Amino acid sequence: MSLQVNVKDLLSNLYHNRGVVETLFGQRDQITVNELLSREDISEDQYRKLVSLDILYEYENIVSLNDAVVAMFEDFMEIGEVTPGFINDYINELKRYINFYQDAREIRFLRSIKKFLKRINSTLTREIIKLQKNVDDTYKNESNYRIKLQKLEDYREKRDSIIQFIKKTSEVIDESRAMFNLTNDSELFGIVAALRISLIENLDFLIEIQTDITDFINKIQFQLDVYKKAQQLKEIKDHGALHFKTNFREIVSGINTLKHNGHKTPKTKIPIDFLYSDDGHILCKRVAEKYKITRLMVRGLADKMPGNFKDKGLEQQIKLDTEKLVERFLTQTKANLFEYLIDYKFPKAIGTVTFEDRLSLFVEIAMEYQNQLDFKYRLQYYDYTLGDDVKKRLGYTLILPMKEKSKKQKVN
Amino acid sequence: MEDTINFNLPKQTHDIFAVMARGNFISSNGSKDGMNRLYDVINNPENFDRLQAYFNVIRYNIERGNNFFYFSKLGEPNSELEKKLERFERYIDIIDLFASMDNKIGIGSRFRPGEISEECNANVRLKQKLQKIPLYRSETLHNKVREICDLMSRDSFLELEDEKSESYKVLDSYSYLLDIINSVAIYEDNSLGGDDTQGLVYN
Repeated sequence: MSLQVNVKDLLSNLYHNRGVVETLFGQRDQITVNELLSREDISEDQYRKLVSLDILYEYENIVSLNDAVVAMFEDFMEIGEVTPGFINDYINELKRYINFYQDAREIRFLRSIKKFLKRINSTLTREIIKLQKNVDDTYKNESNYRIKLQKLEDYREKRDSIIQFIKKTSEVIDESRAMFNLTNDSELFGIVAALRISLIENLDFLIEIQTDITDFINKIQFQLDVYKKAQQLKEIKDHGALHFKTNFREIVSGINTLKHNGHKTPKTKIPIDFLYSDDGHILCKRVAEKYKITRLMVRGLADKMPGNFKDKGLEQQIKLDTEKLVERFLTQTKANLFEYLIDYKFPKAIGTVTFEDRLSLFVEIAMEYQNQLDFKYRLQYYDYTLGDDVKKRLGYTLILPMKEKSKKQKVN
Repeated sequence: MEDTINFNLPKQTHDIFAVMARGNFISSNGSKDGMNRLYDVINNPENFDRLQAYFNVIRYNIERGNNFFYFSKLGEPNSELEKKLERFERYIDIIDLFASMDNKIGIGSRFRPGEISEECNANVRLKQKLQKIPLYRSETLHNKVREICDLMSRDSFLELEDEKSESYKVLDSYSYLLDIINSVAIYEDNSLGGDDTQGLVYN
């Protein structure tokens, strides 16, 4: 036995291994030694040390935290088993110190009286909260019926004993009222007043818990009764007498649920237009998957069309023409490239070619066919009107068809 | 849309109808598809009256049970008695099986089909019960239990809570079946008295 008596050591050991402690607390009585040692935050030596310090216990290869540590955490978190016995201990202590104080009016006894009064108050509240939680938890999560019933009955007893303690506490307070008055200690008065209020409150809570417990037990009992009856009916049914010895037929014929009466779900038809949409296609696909219709499954969704797919089409068309356009331009000598493009009569199939289109075509040709073109590094000007009366002037490079071989020139 | 405004209906009306018109129950402890929320919406007294009035127009009636709701049809005779009898006989089989488990499956219980089939494997009486439940295409005990769970989920008495671990939860609507069973009267005292069966329940 080498449990630390030193608070600091205990705390630092717990803190140092807080990950392990947390896990062990969270999964009480489930972790094996090997599982624990496979964690990265604890080595074999550390583990041995903790065991030797009695912080951890090992039993049949299962590791558990020291009960005292678990109890401390549970107390703070207001979980764990309901232990009304503590209250009784505190009441006895309280009585003892009251006797002491009556014998010898020393302030140290008064301090203990206050301490235990406070402790009774907080413990009562905590136990009741735990009781409530446990009752709820048992009803909802305990899967075994007999144990569930047994547990609920136990909680009922615990509730009764808590009520006993509440009564006992108020008796003690009442008996000692004269003595309390004599002390003339305002802090004590405050504590006693608070305790009185909380005693009444807690009694109310307990009554509520009692109705909960009764309710839960009744529900379980009802289910058990029905289960008994179900087994009875089953037996009758196995004897082929269900329709003759019971009013099963009558009861069943009175059943009015939709499902059991073959009432079909009202169906609204899907509009055909919707089926042609993308959402409709997804729906069709799902139906196809469900009924394994491959014909519908194969046809997938096409990829998304790019936003500028229209422009692309036009560009391609013009590009096809560009080469011929350039050829034609090269064979003539009258106009420079800019003038030629501005005045060129494009075939109707292309549609209207705007001023901007012609400009971009100019730039495009200038860049792509620079080897066949003669760039004169001179600016010429072109006047045009934009909308109503806004006169604009555009400067452009003079580009002529190549007449003789000259050096390669770069675009400006 | 306009209708919902005129009737001052909750905005979940459509969802509620979608679930219940399919013949399903809405249980307070169901968690899938916001079931418990829908339950709360119907359970609100103001909403209930409005919804009831609204659905009554199209001949649907909301029926209230212990922590669950379902639809019945107004003014239509309940048909298909033979089919109904067959189905409820099967429910008796299933509930009898659930009742005979060591860990009785009741409202709010969680279980995995594996647990049931294992117990059935270990207990001849249970095995027999399970094998005698008329269902098709189930060779192994485990598959049979799974089929039962699947069936009960489709009837909205169970909910597949976790698909990975195949864990089911018993919904409040299950008490509908218990109520039905409870209301069946057995005509005469015979050798199959309550005392005999009591032993079965506690074992």
